[in-house]
Formats: sequence, C-alpha cells, structure tokens
Amino acid sequence: MVKQRIADAADRVSVGTLLSHPLSVGFILVSLVVIYAASNFPNDSLFGPSFFPILTSVGIIVFAVADMLNGAETELEMGDIDVRPPAVVLGLLVAYVLVMPILGFWVGSMLFLGVLLYYSGIRSLLLLVGLSLGVPTLLFYVFGRIFLVRLPEAIVPVSRLLPQLPLVVGL
Amino acid sequence: MTVDYIVQGALNATDPIAIGLMVLGILLGILMGSIPGMTATMTIAVLLSFTFTMDPANGMMLLLGIYGGAVYAGSIPAILIRTPGTPSAAATIFDGYPLSQQGEAGRAIRVATIASFIGGFISVLALMFFSPVIANAALNFRSPEFFALAVFGLTIIASVSGDSVTKGMVSGLLGMLVATVGIDPITGYHRFSFDIPALLTGVEFIAVMIGLFGIAEGLRKYGQGIETDRERVDQDISGTLPSLSDLRAILPVSAGGGVLGSLIGSIPGAGGDIAAFITYNEATRWIKDAVPSFGDGNIRGVAAAESGNNASTGGALIPTLTLGIPGDSVSAILIGALLVHDVNPGPGLYQDEPELLYTIFVGFLLIYVFILIFGLLGANYWAQLINIPKQFLWPIILLLCVIGAIALRGNLFDAWIMLGSGVLGYAMRLRGYPLAPMVLGLILAPIAEENLRRSLQLSNGSPEIFLTSPIALVILLLSVGTILLPAVRALRE
Repeated sequence: MVKQRIADAADRVSVGTLLSHPLSVGFILVSLVVIYAASNFPNDSLFGPSFFPILTSVGIIVFAVADMLNGAETELEMGDIDVRPPAVVLGLLVAYVLVMPILGFWVGSMLFLGVLLYYSGIRSLLLLVGLSLGVPTLLFYVFGRIFLVRLPEAIVPVSRLLPQLPLVVGL
Repeated sequence: MTVDYIVQGALNATDPIAIGLMVLGILLGILMGSIPGMTATMTIAVLLSFTFTMDPANGMMLLLGIYGGAVYAGSIPAILIRTPGTPSAAATIFDGYPLSQQGEAGRAIRVATIASFIGGFISVLALMFFSPVIANAALNFRSPEFFALAVFGLTIIASVSGDSVTKGMVSGLLGMLVATVGIDPITGYHRFSFDIPALLTGVEFIAVMIGLFGIAEGLRKYGQGIETDRERVDQDISGTLPSLSDLRAILPVSAGGGVLGSLIGSIPGAGGDIAAFITYNEATRWIKDAVPSFGDGNIRGVAAAESGNNASTGGALIPTLTLGIPGDSVSAILIGALLVHDVNPGPGLYQDEPELLYTIFVGFLLIYVFILIFGLLGANYWAQLINIPKQFLWPIILLLCVIGAIALRGNLFDAWIMLGSGVLGYAMRLRGYPLAPMVLGLILAPIAEENLRRSLQLSNGSPEIFLTSPIALVILLLSVGTILLPAVRALRE
C-alpha cells in the first residue's frame, strides 16, 4: 500500500504539478532563501540563532512537497471569483497607506472611504459625503483624543483644527 | 477568617462607586474588544493613569472590567465578520462565523456570553480558593515543560486544518517562521530585520492577524461581488436567553473549558489565545460524532473557545497576585497599577492586604455577572450589525483595519505588515490553505523556540531532558495521543 502511494506520488512529479501549485512553490523558494540567509548567521553552537528558522523552513519544504504530491484536490473552485475587484481594493488600500504621511490620517481616510464607498456601489451624495466626513472624524476622537494614539497629521493639523472632546460633548 | 474577608470584600465591591466603575470598564472593554486591533492591554495601559488618584480597589474594578469586557467582546467580530477583535477570540471563528452565516449570529453571541460567564466565573473561583496551590505548580515550569506545552499547543494544527493537514502544517510552520523575525531571544542577534527599526522587535503579531482575517476576508468579499450582496443572511433575533437544549449542550463543555482555561491562564506567558485554542481542541477530541461537525457551526465549539479564553483572565491573576509574576500582558499592567498604590503583589499580599485581595475576587465575580447581563441583552442588537449592507460595512471595516494596525504602536510600518499579511491570507484562502494554524504558529513559536533551545543547551543537545521531567513527559505524551488517537480511530473505522 505504502509502495503504491510512493509510486503514485512519483508519477505526479512534473512541471505541471509545479505550475498548478504556485503558492507551494513560492513557500519552498522562500524557505530555501531563509535557509541560505540563516546559515550565514553567527552560530557558536548547533542551537544558535539559525537553528529554529532552518528547522521551520525544512518543515515547510517537506510539507509543501508532500502537499504537491498528495493527490487530494483541496484548492477552492476559483471559477466564480473575479480577481479584479480585490486588486482594485488592494490598490486603494496601498494608495491610502502611501499617502497617509503626506495627507495625514484625517484627509487620507476621507478620500479612501469616499472612493471605496463609491466603488462599492454607493451613489447617494449625502451618504458618500456624510460617511466620508463623519467616520474619520469619529475615529479621530476615539483613537486620537480618548486613547491618545498618535495618528499621522501631515499637512492638515487635525488635532488643532478639531475642537477638544469636552467642547464636542458640550461640557 | 476567610469568610470575614469575603464578606468585607463583597461590601467593598458592591459600593455604588465600585459598581459604577465596573460597568464603565466593562462597556469600554466591550467597545474596544470588538474593534480589531484594539486590545485589552492597550486600553488598560491608556486608562491606567485615571486610576492613580482612585482607591486601589476601585481602580482595580475599572481595570478588571475592561479586561473581562474586552476578552469577551473579541468574540463579537469573530462571529460576525470572521475577524477576531482580540487574539483570544481567534479560535471562536471556527464555529462562530459559520453560525452567523446560517442566520444564527444572535444564538452564537448568546452562547459565547454564557460560556464567557461560566469560564470567567470558574476562573475567579479558582483564583479565590486554589491560587496558592496552582501558583506553586506553575512555578515548577521550566524550559522543558514550556516547550512541551508549546508542542501540545501545536498539535491543535491537526484539528484546525480542515481538509488538508499538509496545508495546515505549511501554514503553521509559516507562522512560526514569521515569528523568528527580530531579536533572537537567546543571543540577541537581529534576524531578518533588514535594519528596519520596526522589525527589530519582530513582526507585530496583531497586525498580521488583522491582515490575515480582516483584509483577506474583505478582499474575498469583493472578489465574490460586494454589490450583489450574495451573502446576506437573515438573522434569527428572537429571544434574549439561549434555549434549554443549547444550555444543556454547552454547560459541560463550558465548565471543562473554565477549569482547563484557568490552569493554562495560570502559567506565565500562556494567555487567553493559547487557552482558547487548547480548550477548543480538547472539545473536538472529547466530543465524538458532534452534529453539526466542529468547524461547521457547532455551538459547543464557540462555548469551548470562549470559556477557555475568559477563564484565562482569572487564571492569569493567580501568579500575578500570589507570586508577583504576570500571567499575561494585561496582568503585567495590573501589577504596575497596584505598585503605584504601594501594594506589592506576591506571597505577602495575603497577609498584608487581605481585604483588597478579596474585594478584587468578589469584584471580578460581579464583573462576569454584568458581562452576562450586558451580553445577553445586547446579543440581538450586535447580531443585526451583520445585516448592514456590505457596501457600507466593508469599506468601514477595511478603514478600521488600517487604523487598528497603526494604533498598535503608532507606526505606519505595521499597516504595511497588515496589508502584506492580508494579500498572503487571501492567496492562501484561494488555494485552500487554512489560516488558523498560521496564527497558532505565530503565538506558539516564541515559546517553542526559546524553550527548545534552552533545554537542548542545558542537556548538551540530548533530547532526554524532555523525558526526565515528569510534567514535560506527561504533556508530550498527551500531545502524541492527540495526534495518534484520531488516526487510530480513523483506521478502526
């Protein structure tokens, strides 16, 4: 039985197997790079800084290869998934984080939320403007004022522009 | 004598100011715990200064209210949007999210509330009556025992891997590999940090978690078509209390989770996240022929995870109060809060401050009663949040994910880590890789690595050190049993 399984697995070793498991191949390549990089760490014993990264990388390679050779088909059906919308949303997220040091948290969040809401199908101008202005402002008070989280301000000094919390709640 | 202290503690804890502070703390904890990225640790750290002018008992009521409230509320986004509010709620996703997808979010939140109450209540009782004994046992944990505990935690990968154990192992090992970034715990060497200051202390685990679950889920939703709102599910929001059959089903598992979670929580370094994974795994191991299966929306899965993580709160206070050793990051801050008032946590606390100690015990019991009341009253309202149209919900959630990642350390780099994790998580989901093992790997790798290497260095490389420690041996045998038993059962069938 075991011999048969090994023979079946050997039959599956092909370029096609590699191409149909891009993520597994990626994990194996990353693990090889990690092993190479870790082997250059200064080690004064077998159990130095490189021990654990190499151990886990070897484990990843073993299980990724086993997964590729395993006949069981566990990939999800990708036919009904359109990769364009996630790519657009990811692009917006990247742009949002990129411009945050320039535009700051407040303005950046307004733009991000407005554009993403529009892309998500919201067409009501009232909702678009209301949510884009309201949500970042509310978050500024919760994070910036109550929990004193340092949010990037950049060109718009929001902490000086918006009134202090006691004024907002009328105290 | 003890009864006198309990009565005095009850009188102090039921003082109107103390009750008000408990309620305020719980509500703040629930608010913050339900926002991914806002942890109990951060909330307590920020509000700590407010307690400096308070009576120490009242200050502790506020802080413990936040602690309990946040650990409980982490389950709400885990159930509704598959994104744990706090790391402790990562295991709640397995059965909580499928329940909300079946229109039973309210039921799942009610079950989580009852289980949180039972787990928390048991842990505080353990804190009251068994803390010296448990603390002494936990003190006996050295490197081999800690490594064995980490191995035991890693055996859970098999039960949370879904269809493919090999993919689960890759995911878990990947999490462990990511956890090696930063300063080597033994030599201090900088590994894979590329001279990036934010990476010197390692990859921020919570940022990875927000990315893996929040961003990846958001991208998946957009991939399926957010405008068509295909996943709209009508939620059953009838009733405030769980049904008798649900109660019968979850009471034993919650009680078991409460006991086990208290024990795990009492081990310094093993927090609510590890406790929840282990109690969930034990539930899947002990309950045979579960219908529906674990992972498909079984209420006992939610109860196991939630009783375990809430039980760790009382458990974490055992070494904190009796030995002065923090059980987790929150209890480390609580030690600071007590020290400000010249109260020294440790063995002397029972002699020096018995009244304060029993006020904390009774107050923490009351906090879990309040969590039960607020949780049951609010369950149906929170369940309806999932029915907010996805076009509104997901842009705001994605915004919260970014802000939550930045809020962790006030560092924009963590937002990039989160986005990278989100892309990886999305790709892994498309290819059928389970994400929970990666979180498990991230949590357990630091404990596993440090203690494996220390143990092997102590024994000059001989693995016998793990066999000569009775505690480590028992835990390792349990780990082997956890892996082998399902295989033997499957072979028999």
